[in-house]
Amino acid sequence: MLDDQEIKRLILRVAARDEGSADAFERLYKACAPLLLGIAQRLLHRRELAEEVLHDGFSTIWRLAETFDPLAPQPVAWMVAIVRNRAIDVVSSAHASRVDSYHDTPDDNPDGVLDKLFEWGAGPDDAEDNRRAVQWLRGCLAKLKAAERQALVLAYERGLSHGDLASHLQAPLGTVKTWVRRGMENLKACIESCMGAAR
Amino acid sequence: MRVANERWLDALSGEYLLGTLRGAARRRFERALREEPRVAQRLKYWQGIFTPRYSKMVEVQPSQQSWSRLERSLGLARYRTPWYRSAGFWRGWAAATTAALVLGVSFQMFRPEPQLAAPIEIARLAGKAGEPVVVAALSKDQRTLELRAARAVQAGPQQSYELWLIPAEGGSAISIAVLGSLDARFAVPAAQVGRLRAGAKLAVSVEPAGGSPTGTATGPVLWIGEIQT
Repeated sequence: MLDDQEIKRLILRVAARDEGSADAFERLYKACAPLLLGIAQRLLHRRELAEEVLHDGFSTIWRLAETFDPLAPQPVAWMVAIVRNRAIDVVSSAHASRVDSYHDTPDDNPDGVLDKLFEWGAGPDDAEDNRRAVQWLRGCLAKLKAAERQALVLAYERGLSHGDLASHLQAPLGTVKTWVRRGMENLKACIESCMGAAR
Repeated sequence: MRVANERWLDALSGEYLLGTLRGAARRRFERALREEPRVAQRLKYWQGIFTPRYSKMVEVQPSQQSWSRLERSLGLARYRTPWYRSAGFWRGWAAATTAALVLGVSFQMFRPEPQLAAPIEIARLAGKAGEPVVVAALSKDQRTLELRAARAVQAGPQQSYELWLIPAEGGSAISIAVLGSLDARFAVPAAQVGRLRAGAKLAVSVEPAGGSPTGTATGPVLWIGEIQT
């Protein structure tokens, strides 16, 4: 993976739409497609759908490169959001059957998932703000109630809807919705108190 | 969507990021994102809070065809550095000429009478006021054409120069080469070898990067000169 500065530079070159744009886009693809495909596949559970989402996602990245904010702290997050949104659209459309998601049982230990699939250490070129934000998020996730944390991790990482969560966690829909809502509220409150303390 | 209060807006932003906001509610939220700056601002705030970073563990290699399909569907060829302007090409070219030079030199040691095939000047192309004259020279076998400008003439980042042959007998101009600069040496297209004769003209027009999309000159002609041999 290239560093953030290099990725930013490539996105801006893509946005320039000049004769270096295709080369920059190809480098961006080579560097980021494996990660984005992996994310799509975790959300969709099916390789061919994930490849479709990757294709659509990169088409959108090409089209929207000019709207990319060069001051954004994490350029990869901008691309991840595009691919995740597309994958969630596909997941929620009637065509994508969710049946097979339960063959491939999601890991129920949210802490295992969190530490295996996410990166909490600081990147070599991380700005201080980035570094702190990442640590706060990990620390505050750890402080959530176990049920809330599990609901958030499954929803984010496996693309489970409220209904999927309810059947997977064998809890009433209303309860699961409350876990998700309270989980996000508590997370935000915790991170905001870290921000306040850091000021 | 008029988002009634901050608390609701927070709940929607959070669930949108998480992915649990689905269907019509998701589409309404996305419309509000485009239409209401307050909503976009709030989501941005949430992204600052909640953007976990995936680890390399997640990576999956895309299939072989995946990139070429994307390249085709977006028509990326238009945004490529033309081959004669890419650094790789010039590095290769430099290496090749060096090798050729070495070979040539060693070859010449065994040849009593080296034949120096200096190209022959065939035309002087006059530019608009202030532009330098460009000299066109053709190799003895008529297969290689060289352009030399009195000072560097480089096309803009989204432009190319295109060299045209206007036949002596009339008819439409024929494209000879697409160039980034007017200091260049290139092969004459096979079909035009032998047609660079006295009375025909050479002209250079400015075209979009990669050359005229239509096959005839679309931009202004900046240099023109008659072949004199």
